[in-house]
Amino acid sequence: MAEPLTCDVALVGAGPAGMMAALTAADHGLRVTVVDEQRRPGGQIFRQRPPEFPHQPWTPPAGYPWASSLLERAESATDIDWRFQTTALGVVHEERDDGILLATTGPGGSALLRARRLVIATGAFDMPVPVPGWTLPGVMMAGAVQTLLKSQQVLAAERLVLAGSHPLLLLVADQLRSAGADVAEVALARGLPTPREALGSLGAVPGHLSLLGDSARAVARLVAGGVRISPRTVVTAAHGHRHVEAVSLTQVDRQWRGVGQARRVEADALVLGYGFQPSAELARQAGCAMRWDSPAGGWVVAHDDRMATDVPGVYAAGEPVGVSGAEMARSQGRLAGLGVVSDLTGHNVDVELEEADRSARRARRFARVVQRMFAPQREALADLAGSDTVVCRCELVSRGAIEQVLDANPGMSTANAVKLECRSGMGPCQGRYCETTVGTLVAGRTGRPVAQVGHFTAHFPIKPVPLSVLGELDGDVTSGACAHRHHRAEGSQESGE
Amino acid sequence: MSFSFNGQPVAAHAGETLAAALMAHGVEGVSLTRDGEPRQPLCNMGTCFDCAVTVDGRSLVRSCLTPVEDGMEVHSWQNH
Ligand SMILES: Cc1cc2nc3c(=O)[nH]c(=O)nc-3n(C[C@H](O)[C@H](O)[C@H](O)COP(=O)(O)OP(=O)(O)OC[C@H]3O[C@@H](n4cnc5c(N)ncnc54)[C@H](O)[C@@H]3O)c2cc1C
Ligand code: FES
Repeated sequence: MAEPLTCDVALVGAGPAGMMAALTAADHGLRVTVVDEQRRPGGQIFRQRPPEFPHQPWTPPAGYPWASSLLERAESATDIDWRFQTTALGVVHEERDDGILLATTGPGGSALLRARRLVIATGAFDMPVPVPGWTLPGVMMAGAVQTLLKSQQVLAAERLVLAGSHPLLLLVADQLRSAGADVAEVALARGLPTPREALGSLGAVPGHLSLLGDSARAVARLVAGGVRISPRTVVTAAHGHRHVEAVSLTQVDRQWRGVGQARRVEADALVLGYGFQPSAELARQAGCAMRWDSPAGGWVVAHDDRMATDVPGVYAAGEPVGVSGAEMARSQGRLAGLGVVSDLTGHNVDVELEEADRSARRARRFARVVQRMFAPQREALADLAGSDTVVCRCELVSRGAIEQVLDANPGMSTANAVKLECRSGMGPCQGRYCETTVGTLVAGRTGRPVAQVGHFTAHFPIKPVPLSVLGELDGDVTSGACAHRHHRAEGSQESGE
Repeated sequence: MSFSFNGQPVAAHAGETLAAALMAHGVEGVSLTRDGEPRQPLCNMGTCFDCAVTVDGRSLVRSCLTPVEDGMEVHSWQNH
């Protein structure tokens, strides 16, 4: 029996993109269901504190004056069916075309949502960069340290080294120091933005308070506080027995290749911040076409000017289509919302679309400047992994093991083939943390561009769950059941395979 | 409130996530690799699974997304 329609629009992700798309669609009278793994709306950048914590007014990060009212609107939108602490597991492919079936699991158990349209606004995560020792406790991503501090009030460590290339790293260093942490050093793979670059970015965002302005103020405070900021420096190893005790920092040239000797800095934590990578597994699993765009974070979801993907009924907005910051995510959320509205209701939304399009274009100009300025040098970063360095954190596959597979199979030319051969990408994180490195290594070996080496395929469920959860769904699924069973061996973890 | 982690009591505040409480408590191996090596939360946003625990018999629970409840029985999750 087919499930009844749950809603007109199902949205995954309640960050700026998802909130904006949901509110836009609801304003036009559509029935909207939003699924997010967090407990409250906000996404990553506007992650809120839990409701149980003593009330404190929420202050938006500088530069986003609209954030508070967007959050308030979202939290008071009772016409929207918000499903928090709920994970979207994937789209169930079926033979019919009267809607999209989305499998979810949350506090009330597992469920299948049938919606006429799906908007994927799943955000991004910190770009992984394997260096020797990066699996040690004490190594954390910049986003993790920041969200632990801002929404959980936990200082991740006492003495930290921050290393990477994204301007967010400077903001995080500043926040850590204000919270009382000892920031031992901030190592930036690139130079500090030159005056010319800073001017260029100002031109790109007339009237906007930019991320670069924030980072410049953070730098000033850090320097005044005696924190060492080392440009053209990368972290080449984390050392310690069962926990980080020190890190090695090495000077690099413009291509981020090491020059000179490493120096050791004592610290109990290493924070990595090389920028973000789109969370696009749901879009991939749904069958959406992807495009390689390295400065925008790697593999991004292809879309048209109303954020529709090439899969009928499926839209994408925010970071899955390219990491472009919160301003852009909000504009794209509005575009996607309006796209769905005009698609489903036939309402004339031309005026609103034009306005949303203008703000998206403005945001895009700034995003492109930031992306180009801070684009990662992927080959140099992949080479930070030594032969013994674990590339696949879940299945413990080292760089050496991957290269052995490539040596033994000279014809092997895709990231996916390597995954199938050596299990890199087959653990619980499902390849999120090794795909880029595997792709870059294969590209380096074969001389083919990463765009041709391709990405890992994403399977149902896109986040692993115990078999019992899939069992709950299977009873309900009719025509989509085959898709489940087929992917079960790879996606579920309880059996230990 | 409090919960147990690998049999030991851990104090926590209402609203805290299991991951935050375990970090604040200085727990080394929130999850364990197949080789028994300790792992701590890496992303704090549900993508890496290094924070996976077993809660009251439910496996593969991401502690960074799970608010503490009084009396929870939590164990390190180990990849096989
Ligand atoms: C810690 C951090 C700080 C940042 N700071 C800045 C900044 O200062 N300035 C800036 O411009 N950008 C910043 N960024 C980049 C930031 O990601 C974007 O600017 C903005 O948050 C993107 O909005 P979004 O709506 O696309 O996605 P997000 O805000 O990332 O929201 C995506 C949401 O989708 C949910 N989700 C993902 N997958 C699933 C699933 N399978 N099931 C259910 N829910 C799911 C997540 O829980 C999340 O809440 C930051 C990013 C991070 C991680
Ligand atoms: S810390 Fe990465 S999933 Fe929880």
